[in-house]
Amino acid sequence: MNAMIPAFDPHAVLVAPWTENLSLFGWIAAMGFAVTSACGLVGNYLMLRRMALMGDAVSHSVLPGLVAAFLVTSSRGTLPMFAGALAAGVFTTIAIESIHKLTRVKQDAAIGITFSTLFAIGVVMTSLYAAQVDLDADCVLYGEIAFVPLEPMVSVGGVVLGPVPFVRMAAVLLMVGLLIVAFYKELLVSAFDPGLARSLGTNPTLMHYGLMAALSVVVVSAFESVGAILVVAMLILPGATASLLSTRLSRVHLLSLVHAAISSWLGVTLGVWLDCSIAAAMVVAGALLFALVWIVSPSEGLIARWRRRRRAVLPSALSDDSNPVPEAK
Amino acid sequence: MSDPYAPLEIHDLTVAYHKKPVLWGVDLVIEPGRLIGIVGPNGAGKSTLIKACMGLLPLQSGWVKFFGESFHKMARRVGYVPQRESVDWDFPVNVMDVVLMGRYGRLGVLRRPSKADRSVARACLEKVHLLPYANRQIANLSGGQQQRVFLARALAQEADIYFMDEPFAGVDAATEAAIIAVLRELRDMGKTLLVVHHDLPTARQYFDDLLLLNMNVVAFGKTADVFTAELLQKTYGGRLTILSEVAQALGAHGASR
Amino acid sequence: MSRTASRALLILLLAAATSPVEAAGVREFVSSDWSTQIVRFFTLQDASVRFALIGSVLLGLSCGLLGSFIVVRKMALMGDALSHAVLPGVAIGFLWNMTKDPLAILIGATIAGLLGTFLVSAISRTTRLKEDAALGLVLATFFAIGICLVTMIQRLPTGNKSGLDKFLFGQAAALSAEDITLMAIVTSIAVVMVVAFYKELLASSFDPGFSRSIGLPTRWIHHGLMLLLTASVVIALQAVGVVLVSAMLITPASAAYLLTDRLHRLVVMAAAFGVGAGMAGAFLSFVGPSLPTGPLMVIGASALFSAAFLFGPRHGVVARWLLRRRGAARTQRENTLKSMFHVMEATQFRTEGVTLHDLAIRRRETIDDAQRLGRDLVRHGLATLSGDALYFTPSGRKRAGEIVRNHRLWELYLTQSANIAADHVHEDAEKIEHILGESVVRDLERRLGYATFDPHGRAIPSARTIHGGDARREGGNGSGK
Repeated sequence: MNAMIPAFDPHAVLVAPWTENLSLFGWIAAMGFAVTSACGLVGNYLMLRRMALMGDAVSHSVLPGLVAAFLVTSSRGTLPMFAGALAAGVFTTIAIESIHKLTRVKQDAAIGITFSTLFAIGVVMTSLYAAQVDLDADCVLYGEIAFVPLEPMVSVGGVVLGPVPFVRMAAVLLMVGLLIVAFYKELLVSAFDPGLARSLGTNPTLMHYGLMAALSVVVVSAFESVGAILVVAMLILPGATASLLSTRLSRVHLLSLVHAAISSWLGVTLGVWLDCSIAAAMVVAGALLFALVWIVSPSEGLIARWRRRRRAVLPSALSDDSNPVPEAK
Repeated sequence: MSDPYAPLEIHDLTVAYHKKPVLWGVDLVIEPGRLIGIVGPNGAGKSTLIKACMGLLPLQSGWVKFFGESFHKMARRVGYVPQRESVDWDFPVNVMDVVLMGRYGRLGVLRRPSKADRSVARACLEKVHLLPYANRQIANLSGGQQQRVFLARALAQEADIYFMDEPFAGVDAATEAAIIAVLRELRDMGKTLLVVHHDLPTARQYFDDLLLLNMNVVAFGKTADVFTAELLQKTYGGRLTILSEVAQALGAHGASR
Repeated sequence: MSRTASRALLILLLAAATSPVEAAGVREFVSSDWSTQIVRFFTLQDASVRFALIGSVLLGLSCGLLGSFIVVRKMALMGDALSHAVLPGVAIGFLWNMTKDPLAILIGATIAGLLGTFLVSAISRTTRLKEDAALGLVLATFFAIGICLVTMIQRLPTGNKSGLDKFLFGQAAALSAEDITLMAIVTSIAVVMVVAFYKELLASSFDPGFSRSIGLPTRWIHHGLMLLLTASVVIALQAVGVVLVSAMLITPASAAYLLTDRLHRLVVMAAAFGVGAGMAGAFLSFVGPSLPTGPLMVIGASALFSAAFLFGPRHGVVARWLLRRRGAARTQRENTLKSMFHVMEATQFRTEGVTLHDLAIRRRETIDDAQRLGRDLVRHGLATLSGDALYFTPSGRKRAGEIVRNHRLWELYLTQSANIAADHVHEDAEKIEHILGESVVRDLERRLGYATFDPHGRAIPSARTIHGGDARREGGNGSGK
């Protein structure tokens, strides 16, 4: 059992990844940041719309879309991948809606049924066509972010941009960021009050499907690195942590990026030390950050709550008040 | 009803949601054999009062006694009609199943409803004119019929004191008349009924006593004595703004943010 | 329910007990052809097949049974969170003495699952985060912790053969005799508890507020259910896997939810569907041994759900579509009858029949259409066709009178009671006329003081004339609309 937790070697864990092994772990950390921040930004809107579990659903159901795209085009190009994911994402949304609307099955059950079915089909397809698809079952679940630096490098005009998955993810992050800057108002209003959004000339349905499309693209770009389930944590954890510290959306976005940066650095460190899946370690690191904030946050933290409770608000406030409670007649 | 104790006695009851008081220092003693309406504006704590009496909400302070005992000892003598929207009417049960739930409090653990329980349930359905619908799934009922199913379930409890949370909400006139007839019949049998009610004009016709409530008891007494412009103004109008402002401040102070 | 379930259980237990423990892996049969494999599977010659099948049946039974309650309690995604949250517990249970000791894994996983559900409620209670976000957060975080542990264990010299990876997607063939024993125990407890506390589960699932008011310990019932749920998720893990076990909870129960309106039937059906899906998955993974069992079971359950979704007799999509179509066809027939009535009314009911020509003009359609509509009436015994004229049968005459009466009564009601202008009421009445029942009509007639003319001045057929069958005496003065 002691063999499981390796000795903590400060040089190997804290220094080496960022010096002699930078060409390896630098890309891993960068990929981790790109994935977590892109997911976090999209996830903030999912949480605002109380659709956090749509993230869970879409992340599972892109698998058959991905596999089908690989099989049809027999390539692992970016475009077929995005097309497959978009198709799967839209199909999931429609399937959940129609089960929920056409029968008395409730929405949560409809979500569970739809994504588990699609995911099961995807897993069976990967097993059946293992040779063509090049995705093994473990990769589907938690990805292989450690393989990112081994992918072919993309370079434009002699400048090395990075391995293919990272460049793709960075482009998606950039796109998500630009979309949020461009449509900040519209996204905020349609998440907060669809009726008001419509009266202001924004189409909430369009926004909804746009968000689902962005979700599908983000999830599928992250898929090979972090898998179908860890991505759910990356959608929720940055925003959840940030929203314990601020209530303003713009600030929540910025704090999510901070969370993404810290958790990818800490994740690499943790993964190197414990020699375990780095993607999972990033999620654990992100969860540790969440736990820390949950405890110490000045507004919503457990300590703050405990203190407030100890101050015994009700009686003291009552006695402070000069108007006593009116007597019953 | 030879009880030496009042069916319901409430002393200094305070209930708060998220630190924000909803009911403040409520004192009440209810006589047996009365049909009592609880009226007040939205958010006055009407539902909260009856839920708190039955221990469904934690009390900040005070106590509630039924026939001189705690609710838990007397639970069998207390009947309850929750708001219709509080349940999922797509739930896979039929009318008879729901009414039989009224008997569950009397059945011990591991015991199934007996033939006698079923005949009580049938009699209760008969009373609310729903016997022909006994085998119907509850989603296939109108709003008024659903409300009467809940009433039949409460009747099946064969309790001595009843709490009813807006039994007239969203029902048609015929159902309303049928329900009030049943309530009066119960009252004449010596039962005590506390009914949360929304509509002031009918409140005056329906109830023996009125409890005007807005965070605390504004007035409680015979309908004729209490249904006055002045007291209603007190309940619905300005007098309590100070109280609610303080409550607001407390909520802001105590709640997270 | 209890008797059949427990009898089935007994048979399974006997089968499990009498089977000699052989170390035969499923993979040994791969080389043989399909038909021999199928024979081998169903004759239960081999211990591993026996174990796989019995295990699938047991897990299908317990998941279906308990899944029913999470579906009707609208906690479906709690099942999902729970099933992912058990993974670190599985790893820690394994670490206990570095073997796949079923009991240690059960204990570890149950603790992890309960901790996960506790954290979900703690987060949604103490922060602004909504329950769905809390669920997703806990689900994925626990899963990540589990993955960290599993990858660490697999790095160990002994960990390589741990078979922990089988916990992700499930491999029914990996079930051992001890696994089966534990599954049988947990399933029996689940069955006994559900049967014993059915009444309490029913009441607290339907109406928690009322249940508490009659003194049922709803909180303990909830915790007990969560405990049973966790245990049944854990025993299902090896065969279905962490990722998809929630589907075995939700999908069979949702399929049953579409087929029945009573909870006890739902529970039995869901258990049966779970067993069916489990057996199908075990069988398919037997004939295709490279396939994990879990996804196949889930696809089996989803197939059952799809069948219920499409072909369920009452809530199915096809049934409802047929119902709507039948309704539309009836509406069309009634409109044809109404048109015939209007044609006859225009001639003061002096003619007996209506020619297809007049009908076509009246309905602004072609003769061919009128003929088609007429034939439809004939098929349903509402009219007879002789030459090119249609004649009412008595039942057709009656229905035509009723429809016209309903239409005109409703127009009158709208204009008189709802103060809607006379030229605005026709469209509404076109719809209402087909669905007004006799008792509502009586009520309308009473409220309208048995009026004889509609807002356009046309006669309203009365009950007497409709049933008497002689409309000539009414003699409407309007041209009919």
